[in-house]
Amino acid sequence: MKHFNKILFVSLLCSILIGQIKLDVSTIPKRVDVYLDGVNLGRSPILNERIKPGLHKFEIKKRGFAPLSYDLLVNPAQAIKLDFFLNPIYKIKFKTEEKGLVFELNGEHRWDVPYVRLELEAGDHSLRVFKIGEIIDEQIIRVDEPKRFNYYLKKPLTSN
Amino acid sequence: MVRVLLSIFFLNNLFGASQDPTYLVFNHFDKEIPDAEKLLIENFNDSKFEFDASIKDIFSDLDSYDNPASSHMEMIKDLGEQYKVNFILLNKIEHKEDRFILDGLLFNTRSGGLIHRRKINLKHYLNGQINELVMWVGKTLGIQQQEWQENRESILFSDPESISYEKTPMGAAIRSLIAPGWGQAYSDKKVSAGVWFGVEASLSLAFVLSYLNYDKSAKGFLSNSVLYNGTDDEKLVAKYRSLAETDWDNHIIYSRLAIALASATGTGWVSNSIHAWIFGPRPYTNIYQEWDNSSKSNKG
Repeated sequence: MKHFNKILFVSLLCSILIGQIKLDVSTIPKRVDVYLDGVNLGRSPILNERIKPGLHKFEIKKRGFAPLSYDLLVNPAQAIKLDFFLNPIYKIKFKTEEKGLVFELNGEHRWDVPYVRLELEAGDHSLRVFKIGEIIDEQIIRVDEPKRFNYYLKKPLTSN
Repeated sequence: MVRVLLSIFFLNNLFGASQDPTYLVFNHFDKEIPDAEKLLIENFNDSKFEFDASIKDIFSDLDSYDNPASSHMEMIKDLGEQYKVNFILLNKIEHKEDRFILDGLLFNTRSGGLIHRRKINLKHYLNGQINELVMWVGKTLGIQQQEWQENRESILFSDPESISYEKTPMGAAIRSLIAPGWGQAYSDKKVSAGVWFGVEASLSLAFVLSYLNYDKSAKGFLSNSVLYNGTDDEKLVAKYRSLAETDWDNHIIYSRLAIALASATGTGWVSNSIHAWIFGPRPYTNIYQEWDNSSKSNKG
């Protein structure tokens, strides 16, 4: 009876382990919450985790960074290592002293007030400027740190 | 555009020259990545590459199989025999909006099976694909250089909490608390620095003068009181009494003035520090309308 229990336990363990794939997840930055199919696996780096073959959804979340969602088809008989790079979100202030302008960012967000605070993902963003319903400017602005943007219609003769 | 790059990669540094494992490398990029081959050669200069762009994307259907690890076993074995290589390395880079996904697969030509797979999901940055490709290839070869890791860190945007600035509002506030106007000067606001320094210096000087006058009046009052008590001469009594009363009145006036000026100096000192913090050095960028002229945005 004692041996039977041991054999049963080993059999169960084997059946659980067989068909599962070794999973390593690394992230930049580290210590990020990693969710697999809605279940928190813990904080990265995740090492020697096991995953079943099939379609899985990874969600990577950390405060101050854009969350990342990634669908992955895991195939049998392979070890898989995933590297995720989270993009930071910076606090941006956008200010203008010009009158009657409407700003549009990435074709989504619009405002017409002289000062706004935004939280933007690091990288390039498309800025369009409208005046009396007509587009008067379009350019790419790069968000690479928390900072303030000052928008001017005319470049001064001497800039400080 | 699908670019297929075929290279034969002879390793000389893993197991010695007598039994060098050899690699056949396929690079499948959906967009052209300039200098990919050149940089691979440069980064693994102990190895030998051969390039042949004639073979098309033979593993494009890999994920459609139930078991991709064994899906192309015969083909892998055939390629192994044909090119006399031990391993086949497949690097796929696919761009999706502003991100790219590097899918790396390593096959063993003896068994024909997939032995290692690595996926990297990264926002697109300058030279990011090349750096990640080199890191992945290096990983499969057991070669990792600190420089690659540093490159990876450098091409990523900084963690907001780890960004450090040479000049900060707090630095300006502390300086202004030590010496009025210093924080403003530190923030390159010369006029403001001059005004704050002038105001605080004037208030401080006025306070010192008021205190000295107060002290003088207080001592004069005590002195005249002693003289007043020490004489019986009516004229001198009247004189010392008059002087003592004047000193008393002055001592009260200068006392109140000194307190008011001390309060004003202290309040101004703290206000100057708060002002230095509010208008302290912070990063900004000036954006100028591009459609009106050819001006570009200037970094402030």
